Amino acid sequence: MKHALALGLALAFSWGSAAAAEKEEQPAEIQLPPVPTHWKAENPVGTTAKPVTAEMLNGQVAPTDHWIQYGGNYRNFRHTPLKNLTPESVKKLSVAWAFPTGTTGQFEASPVIYGGVMYVTSSYNRLFALDAKTGALLWRYDHKNGENLRLCCGPPNRGVGILGDSVLMGTLDAHLIAFDRKTGEILWNTEVGDYKQGYSLTSAPLMVHDMAIIGVAGGEYGVRGYFDAYDVKTGKRVWRKYTVPGKGEPGADSWAGDSYARGGSPAWTYGAYDPETDTLFWTTGNPAPDWDGDGRAGDNLYSDSVLALDPKTGDVKWYFQFTPHDVWDYDGNTQLFLVDAKYDGKPRKLLVQANRNGFFYVLDRSDGKFLRATPYLEQVNWATIDAKGRPQVNPQAMPLPDSKFRTCPSNLGGMNGSFTGAYNPDLGLAFIPSAEACQVFTKGISAFKEGLPYLGGLPDTVDATAGKAYGNMAAIDVATGKVKWRYRDNRPMMGGTLSTAGGVVFSGNLEGEVLAFDAKTGKVVWRFRSGGGMRSQPVAYELDGRTYVAVPTGSFSTMDSFAAGVTKVPEGGTLFVFALPK
Amino acid sequence: MSRAALALALLALACSRASQPQESLAQKYLRDPAAVERGHMIFVGTCGAYCHSTHDVERDAPSLFDCEWKHGGSDQQIFDTISNGVPNTRMPPWKGALPNGDDDIWKVIAYLRSATTCATPAAH
Repeated sequence: MKHALALGLALAFSWGSAAAAEKEEQPAEIQLPPVPTHWKAENPVGTTAKPVTAEMLNGQVAPTDHWIQYGGNYRNFRHTPLKNLTPESVKKLSVAWAFPTGTTGQFEASPVIYGGVMYVTSSYNRLFALDAKTGALLWRYDHKNGENLRLCCGPPNRGVGILGDSVLMGTLDAHLIAFDRKTGEILWNTEVGDYKQGYSLTSAPLMVHDMAIIGVAGGEYGVRGYFDAYDVKTGKRVWRKYTVPGKGEPGADSWAGDSYARGGSPAWTYGAYDPETDTLFWTTGNPAPDWDGDGRAGDNLYSDSVLALDPKTGDVKWYFQFTPHDVWDYDGNTQLFLVDAKYDGKPRKLLVQANRNGFFYVLDRSDGKFLRATPYLEQVNWATIDAKGRPQVNPQAMPLPDSKFRTCPSNLGGMNGSFTGAYNPDLGLAFIPSAEACQVFTKGISAFKEGLPYLGGLPDTVDATAGKAYGNMAAIDVATGKVKWRYRDNRPMMGGTLSTAGGVVFSGNLEGEVLAFDAKTGKVVWRFRSGGGMRSQPVAYELDGRTYVAVPTGSFSTMDSFAAGVTKVPEGGTLFVFALPK
Repeated sequence: MSRAALALALLALACSRASQPQESLAQKYLRDPAAVERGHMIFVGTCGAYCHSTHDVERDAPSLFDCEWKHGGSDQQIFDTISNGVPNTRMPPWKGALPNGDDDIWKVIAYLRSATTCATPAAH
């Protein structure tokens, strides 16, 4: 027994040694550290600036050293008071610095500048805090979105909101996250919706009072749309406004059967706010399914509409529906301009919108009364608008299984909620970039299942290469609705806009150029070859006596292809910041 | 024909059929214009728009009308891809999501076969 035990021990030792030797021959397994996704500031940044207040947000025009709202101001003019950006001076712009996002997909952000710090978001929800003068990286957060995101149209984010010392970003997996603007520390993280049901957030939040207001995307997934108000200090929801009525609620009878339950009508863009009357304005998107309205007979309230609300409660004061029973995906949610101007000789508080459906609307924003709609595109044939503002639809434009009719505009518009226009109050001109393209709309078979696309049809851009799909920048006289000048680009324009008090309009094209126009004539006075398609919202600011213009660049070739744009331009986000000579 | 000869002929026929690959439902539907049209209408209402182009155009959702199949080009492989989706892409799993279940998926494949621009489609 002793011998047997000794033999066993020897064998065991021998095997152990052999195993150890074998192990020694293997390269040591290297334990890689987890990939960092959050780099906080080494020292607090932007400390010379006080917390952002509601009074600062209420300013009619932003001071020149900061840009703290997506729309430039609550009226969404995207108009800087900087007078030194003129048709002559912009020729002297040169690159001050540039910054890569490291991501593909649309770089649609409107940077926020405050306290000498630029807060800019990229596709896939990276948030960068940069020194606005040098581009030095101060802090960074890469959001780890959930798996299998439900995104109809790419991975963009259009920017942050700022209030107090908090910077807020919505995410593709439908969270709203608040950061300390000085350190990058996360203050709270609130789930706005279940992304697996089709919800996502792509917009910047609108800050009103002490709340952040943001709406969901998901119209292509048959969600029930809504927008919410959150307490900026706590992240707790203050109210939710569904854009589709529930059973028995007013407007539910504008949907056949129970089709309202999967009626889409998302609220994925940005609103406007009138401090004088304490009124919030928010817009809604298309009913679902997009291109087959057979199962949802009726006007489908409150899709494709603008709602005027009490921001404290979310209660609706009035609404106006632009495209009842939309079967083209025309949405209703392009940028709203709140303009005070004379209309028919009388001073009036106007609500102005270049709608995705191709018409330039003017409403009285005190009661929602329709005043006027005029086409701002060169190709509009889906409808005319009657005296009450209701479209009289061209029967040929209705989607059919075997349609051959070329309907204009395309489902992307016109203008589109993913990019901005601008308004120059000195000239009374709105500058509207748009896609001039037409499509054949066909209707097919779809069925609703939670979290899956619910489309119902297909818009086909049939003549994109025949010179009939192109870009259009129109300067529209708000007083008359007439187009004062147009610029035509080779491909649909889907980049945002900045207006300057010096008489310049900045935008860009999908072929990789940043453009500056003379606001009075439309003449291109400066162009810069950025290389990447322009899908962002440019901003301007002044620090230490130097004037800067920030333009994120980088597009999403799938949407470019869909919009009859270019697909050969590589993706990849780069932020360019230009400066005038000091 | 003697009984033995008949038995031999039947055996030969059975062997011949056994050696042929089994026909997929997509191949069966490919001969049925109504089935192809239903597949077409499902493609139009469910698969196109912001995803697959009706033309031979590459997006992040690939063209389904050329010769390239990223996840296998046999009828069964295409059926499996449609049914199960492709994780962490925009292609979701469609199993159980179409009005007539698997049958509609086979009809979509029949439509894709009918409309392909590929001169030498993959083996079915």
